[in-house]
Amino acid sequence: MRNGLTRRKLLQFTGAGVAGATLFGGGAPWVRRAGAQGARTLTIALAADAVTLDPFNTNDNLSLTVERCVYDGLVGFTPDYKVRPELAASWESSKDAKTFTFHLRPNVKFHDGTPLNAAAVKLNFDRARDPANRLIRLSLVSMISSIDVVNETTVRFTLKDPFGAMLFNFAHPATRIISPAAIAKGEDYIARNMVGSGPFRFVSWTPGQQIVLERNPDYWQSVSRADRLIIKPVVEDASRVAMLLAGDAHFIYPIPGVQVDAVSKASGVTVQKRWSIYANWVAMNCQHAPFQDVRVRQAMNYAIDKSVIVNVVERGYARPLDAPDTPGVAGYSPVQAGGWPYDVAKAKALLSEAGFAKGFETTLWSGNQTDQLRLGEALQQMLAKVGVTLRLDPMEAGTLSAVRFKPFADNQSQMNLAGWSPSTGDADWALRPLLATQSWPPALFNIAFYKNPQVDAAFAAGLATADQAKRNKIYADVTKVIWNDAPWIFLHNGQNLAGVRNGASGVWIMADNTCDFREADLGAA
Amino acid sequence: MIPILLGVSLGAFVFLHAIPGDPARMLAGPDATLEDVRAVRSRLGLDRPLLVQYALFIRNAVAGDFGRSYRSGAPVREVLGQHVGPTLELSIAAIGLAVVTGMGVGTLQAVRRNSLPDYASTVFSVAGISTPAFFLGLLLIYVFSVDIHWFPSGGMSGLRSLVLPAVTLAAASAAVIARFTRSSLLEVLGEDFVRTARAKGVPGRRVLMRHSLRNALIPVVTLIGLEFGFLLGGAIVVETVFTWPGLGWLLIQSIGFRDYPVLTAEILLFSLQFLAINLVVDVLYAALDPRVVYA
Repeated sequence: MRNGLTRRKLLQFTGAGVAGATLFGGGAPWVRRAGAQGARTLTIALAADAVTLDPFNTNDNLSLTVERCVYDGLVGFTPDYKVRPELAASWESSKDAKTFTFHLRPNVKFHDGTPLNAAAVKLNFDRARDPANRLIRLSLVSMISSIDVVNETTVRFTLKDPFGAMLFNFAHPATRIISPAAIAKGEDYIARNMVGSGPFRFVSWTPGQQIVLERNPDYWQSVSRADRLIIKPVVEDASRVAMLLAGDAHFIYPIPGVQVDAVSKASGVTVQKRWSIYANWVAMNCQHAPFQDVRVRQAMNYAIDKSVIVNVVERGYARPLDAPDTPGVAGYSPVQAGGWPYDVAKAKALLSEAGFAKGFETTLWSGNQTDQLRLGEALQQMLAKVGVTLRLDPMEAGTLSAVRFKPFADNQSQMNLAGWSPSTGDADWALRPLLATQSWPPALFNIAFYKNPQVDAAFAAGLATADQAKRNKIYADVTKVIWNDAPWIFLHNGQNLAGVRNGASGVWIMADNTCDFREADLGAA
Repeated sequence: MIPILLGVSLGAFVFLHAIPGDPARMLAGPDATLEDVRAVRSRLGLDRPLLVQYALFIRNAVAGDFGRSYRSGAPVREVLGQHVGPTLELSIAAIGLAVVTGMGVGTLQAVRRNSLPDYASTVFSVAGISTPAFFLGLLLIYVFSVDIHWFPSGGMSGLRSLVLPAVTLAAASAAVIARFTRSSLLEVLGEDFVRTARAKGVPGRRVLMRHSLRNALIPVVTLIGLEFGFLLGGAIVVETVFTWPGLGWLLIQSIGFRDYPVLTAEILLFSLQFLAINLVVDVLYAALDPRVVYA
């Protein structure tokens, strides 16, 4: 809290600074005018640089964004986060969700001319699932027990156990197919270079400055695309916005909430607002008093006015959670329209029933970013109205992760302001890591220490079949149980905000906070 | 020098590992399974005993290899190399500014002791010493970039973007140098040899520049050396406020990721800078004071 004032000041200053930075942006030497560099060059400014270019060893959204342009997967996600065919024109799964067979498009070649066939696919997944290779995304593929090359264009995956969500793992932005010739050049090579089969080819990466890609004229799907993509890391929010306004960038992400108004008022640019699949919530430690009592947990939900959080704290770019997961997740269905109702009287009644008529004191762990502090303060004020004294304990990311992931016996957590974005876009990964008994820290992120055998059984059932209709039903039922058990205060789901220069198309901010430029194009401005 | 660096490396190693936070967990991300985290831990060599890790670090460091950044996988030398330039540029600009204004103001104060300019500049230097850099930085951003649009509010884009961070960084140093110059010069001005010089008719300017100031400079040079050392390492706050991509900024980024190799190398680099500056200062003594001779 000590730094709260200054951080906020800083943000306000930079926010107001957009106008100033804009003036300089126009004359700044740091970028050439977008489009000045050739036929159709699209310039993109993002908040950070890529960390690596090896998809299976990637954990950050920026790297995944760049990799998505150059690499194809067997399947991928549409900009709306629905699974779509990429290298595999079709696929089928066995009833028991243990065998997945993909039929590849014929005659596809990698950018280096290497043929893309079933053997190449097998080689990629064998590399990724070998624990000796110690790749960050091991768990996406570690359930595979064998991979068979049926013929040149057919590849079959057999799993150790049924895993009904496997298709979503294949669509995950990290499960991309790299040219075997590039893999042969070693880890260092593929961490710095990309040889894929996607709509854009890798040209160069100057760390800290730019990544350059060019259109792949041989791509199997012929859609009009820009000739060149230049992706620049522009760390400072105000500079990024200034680049967009000055015409030095066609797409920027993110735009912080405080600067959206400035951008939406400017001419020649539009704000792209798209729903994320990030669910914000407060986990309550279900194994310790006072949150052992479900009435207390429900009372906490009644005590929070979600409309204030949505409209004031989140400036309107959010909506209340109406389920433990969010719209856009495969298998989501709403539990309570409009979210958990705001009812102070009911909250108080439930608290006195539970023996806390006089309220209690508790501590909220959170990150120390400005938005987290704002949210924490709002919760503190609302809970005060039902007699609950909330101590705020904001922590630096590394410390926070260390205390949160302590095993149950040593874990001191009471309340945790947190959230989750399921990178596979599927209900299993949206719920199981957060609410299964097996997911208690340090295994995964069940920081509420929620435990319900009925819920555990449902999660297992959801993985035992790949039949999406059946899975939808299972998750619709289990989310109702979770909602009533209220292991969390269900808060909100927000929008991702990007800026687009008129004339640019096919540039999307996606629900998982990565971007999709696979069909990026530039018309007349 | 070698024992000092060895001690620093041990201290850095111990303290960095004592900070809560697991680099493997940070790198693998919040949605990583234990399996993923173990894979990363083994990739980074963090699954080995601490003593072995330290021994390996020292062995490689002696050969000039500081390992690879946990975050990017790039060699640490390469990572530091990208950030040394901006910090040097900023520190040199700041120390230049601080020395010129600090010594100028200090001399003026000493010569015009107890006059209005003396009092006025005393107020300014006390304010300079006591204003924290982050506050001054924000104030300057507010006035000069938000209000009157003279300079960019952050980032590194040409000379104009250097002005605000350099002024912010120089302010405190300039104030300290001014105070030191003033008191040191006052002391010298009261010495017998100055009176003698004046008595034998040496012109006032010459008395000041040749006889007094040169004598008064010895403690000031020590101070400037120390200040420069602080600027090189202590630009953390200013670099963060102005998103200046230097070593201080890198330090903050690396702490966030618990990037031990980058952090250890940075701490060693900062110590080395201090040692080097102290050496330069010692040599400067000899230039200023003929009595000091290094055999």
